[in-house]
Amino acid sequence: MRRFTAALFLIGLGVMIAAIYQHMDFSNTALNAGQAINSVAAQETGAANFVTSVVLAYRGIDTLLELTILFTAAMIGGMVLGKRRVDAPRDPDAGFILRTGADLLFPLLLVVGLYIILHGHLTPGGGFQGGVILASAFFLPLLARPGSSINQDVISIVEGLAGATFILIGLLAMSEGYEFLSPLFDKGELGALISAGSLPVLYLAVGIKVGSELAGLLAHLAEAEAVD
Amino acid sequence: MSMEFLDGNTILYSAAFGLMLIGIGGIVISNHLMRIIFGIALLEAGANLLLLLSTYHEGASAPIIVDGIIPAMMADPVPQALVLTAIVIGVGILALALSLAIRVQRAYGTLDMREVRLRLEQEICDEAGIEMPSSSEKPAEVIKTPVNSVVQQESGS
Amino acid sequence: MNLLVLMIALPLLAAFLLSIIDRASSFAARVIGPLVLLATAAIGLSVWSQLGDAPQAVQWGGFQAPLGITLYADQFGLLFALAMTIGTLLLWPRSTGNQLRSSSLALLLAGTGSGLALSGDLFNIYVFYELMTVVSYGLIASRGTSGSFASTLRYLVISGFGAALALAGIALVYQATGTLNLAQLAQVAPEKLNNLQGFAAFVLMLVGFGVKAELFPVNMWVPEVYATASSRVSALLAGVVSKLALLIIMRLLILVFHQPEALTVLLVLGILGVATGELAAWRARDLNRMLAFSSIGQLGVMFIALSIPGNAGIFAALAVAVHHLFLKPAMFLLAARWGGSIRRLCGAAKTSPVAAGLFVLLSLSLIGVPPLPGFWAKLLVIMPLLTLDQPLYYFAVFIILAAASLEANYLFRVVMKLYDKQPTAVPHKAHATADLATAVFLGGGLIAAVFMLVPLADRLDSIAAQATDVSTYIQTVAPQSLEGDVQ
Repeated sequence: MRRFTAALFLIGLGVMIAAIYQHMDFSNTALNAGQAINSVAAQETGAANFVTSVVLAYRGIDTLLELTILFTAAMIGGMVLGKRRVDAPRDPDAGFILRTGADLLFPLLLVVGLYIILHGHLTPGGGFQGGVILASAFFLPLLARPGSSINQDVISIVEGLAGATFILIGLLAMSEGYEFLSPLFDKGELGALISAGSLPVLYLAVGIKVGSELAGLLAHLAEAEAVD
Repeated sequence: MSMEFLDGNTILYSAAFGLMLIGIGGIVISNHLMRIIFGIALLEAGANLLLLLSTYHEGASAPIIVDGIIPAMMADPVPQALVLTAIVIGVGILALALSLAIRVQRAYGTLDMREVRLRLEQEICDEAGIEMPSSSEKPAEVIKTPVNSVVQQESGS
Repeated sequence: MNLLVLMIALPLLAAFLLSIIDRASSFAARVIGPLVLLATAAIGLSVWSQLGDAPQAVQWGGFQAPLGITLYADQFGLLFALAMTIGTLLLWPRSTGNQLRSSSLALLLAGTGSGLALSGDLFNIYVFYELMTVVSYGLIASRGTSGSFASTLRYLVISGFGAALALAGIALVYQATGTLNLAQLAQVAPEKLNNLQGFAAFVLMLVGFGVKAELFPVNMWVPEVYATASSRVSALLAGVVSKLALLIIMRLLILVFHQPEALTVLLVLGILGVATGELAAWRARDLNRMLAFSSIGQLGVMFIALSIPGNAGIFAALAVAVHHLFLKPAMFLLAARWGGSIRRLCGAAKTSPVAAGLFVLLSLSLIGVPPLPGFWAKLLVIMPLLTLDQPLYYFAVFIILAAASLEANYLFRVVMKLYDKQPTAVPHKAHATADLATAVFLGGGLIAAVFMLVPLADRLDSIAAQATDVSTYIQTVAPQSLEGDVQ
């Protein structure tokens, strides 16, 4: 009975959505804030990748907040799952292929992750994408050898400092007389690796923060004791 | 005439709304917390796709200047940045939901939403020192439910 | 440059660094949180004193609206930002074992709440709201009992559902208007959002943001969470956080969504909220859940108030919200020791006469007995409802009055038990000094309000007038027109 009403509800919802879709107007998509950003972003931020300009400059505070959400989620994850007991049984090490693969991939993933972070203002990618790759670099060895563990103390220091760096760069702009998180430093040549002022620095902070948060979260989940 | 309904917009929007509907369906119909959490993930994916489509232009190129060439029509960068934000938020909350699910499973031995609710009610009543209001469901049986029975119940019902 | 952004940035910075500071000195880690909040409260008060009739707009990063994100400070937003900061300071969570994390979470809550109250960008509001939600998960779960984990998870499911719907609503708004800036939305809404799509976006966002505002169909989490979280956290969530969610809905109603159907939806959901909340509170047999359900009822009254068109509705909702802001936290603090079964409360007044007296006072104000502020707040809702002369509005008045008599019934049941002569088997514990002092402070505020009713009402009226002044909002933010940028 419950499933029947649920199905009826969903069908009704679908019909409503279809009605809304029929009334939607697709003619005015050219008139939007994004197109305005496209026409001024190159001068205002100096980044060749306009998505990066939006993420770090125009909507920089959103990015700071989402970093904070990750930080909070990782912190609560640690609080909820708690510390592992010392004598809790651990999974055995993985097979030869995974262990060797993890060892081989670790430096590669680090390089790729950093490359993607540092080129975030020029090419698709950036702090979030690169940060996830960094996190996987540190998590892969944990999959290969469940007995080892990531040092949560180091992670909490790194994540705290990376987040603080982001805010401090914002406050630095205020001390120079601009608004919080205004772009700083010389914008340089559009498309060069060292350009776009403070944006690459911010993206590096984002990348390290995302990497450490996700690695911490995954490590917490991996550390969680199975039901005994 | 009938082909007019199948333009690019319709297909993409159907995908977005469809994902949302599947997600809502998962949340409404299933009782298992893992499925509900996945339902939320699907619903979020649908909402993200909807956001991405909000200023979608067929044939627009990525809003990136490569070698100094400015493309004639660039996609709107704002929804892309918003979706990036929304995805990261979703990941954080998903991880948090899984951590909580692990703890609830460890404490109550079940992830069935109805049983979790009953156990929670029981716990609140015990703490408050009042009797649990009698209900049509059988709490005595619920408490003894073994850990593995959830999956069987799900597939059986 | 405007110092207002520090109200948001400083608490976040302190929260990030707290665990590092703790390594150096655990004493510093304990005091730095309250100190930062004192500083941000001082900043907020100084901005408030120079605000006057001219709201301020700050652009994050110095980018012109609507390209950048706007921070809009009027008295309305700043009032709630200050309430969040000072409220967190007063209700600073104390947790055994998780103190460091609880302090971080409290700092984050204060910073995010302030930002949410001041934000002038739709997606920015969503992000602030999500952060506030995640922080409240942490505060609820910080109690560490299995019940608190389970209720957090159930809350997370409802909240995640709502947040995704709100995001879809934002997508619909951006699709129709091409902007997320509230000032620019206010400009283009009459033309572009006064249709089915705009209405759908409103309903999606109402359900999404309504989760925290204890809106009728998405408030199943309320009794479970308030019964399992620590009393200080319950006080924060019911007192302050729910009002911030309400503030978002008020902002959206004032600036963006003007459909008459939107008001009807609010009215119906508000009536259902009052009816279900008060009935459930009447049936409740433990104090925590009674207060939780009564909170749903009170929020329902605010939604009914919001459904009154024009300035009067915002004024009335603001009055009820501010009244509830003082009252509910105090009641939850008193429930810290009395949270269990009402039957066990026999003779509690003997152990703690101050707390019992305060509870009686708060109950009278909640019911709406003149001359206490609760009476005037309810009067402000009922009077304009009667002048509207429509059956559904009359019905709302009937529901509010019926709810008041239910409230009287169940609250007097508690008071009778408090002053019951019959001794109980378990002796009552006295309230913690800090809890009682905070509750007395909040109750004192309510009594003080009785003697300052006229200036207070004038002040709230001017705040509501400033909040509903759409043209000032647009002029202050001054978003550049997008018409010239068509490629």
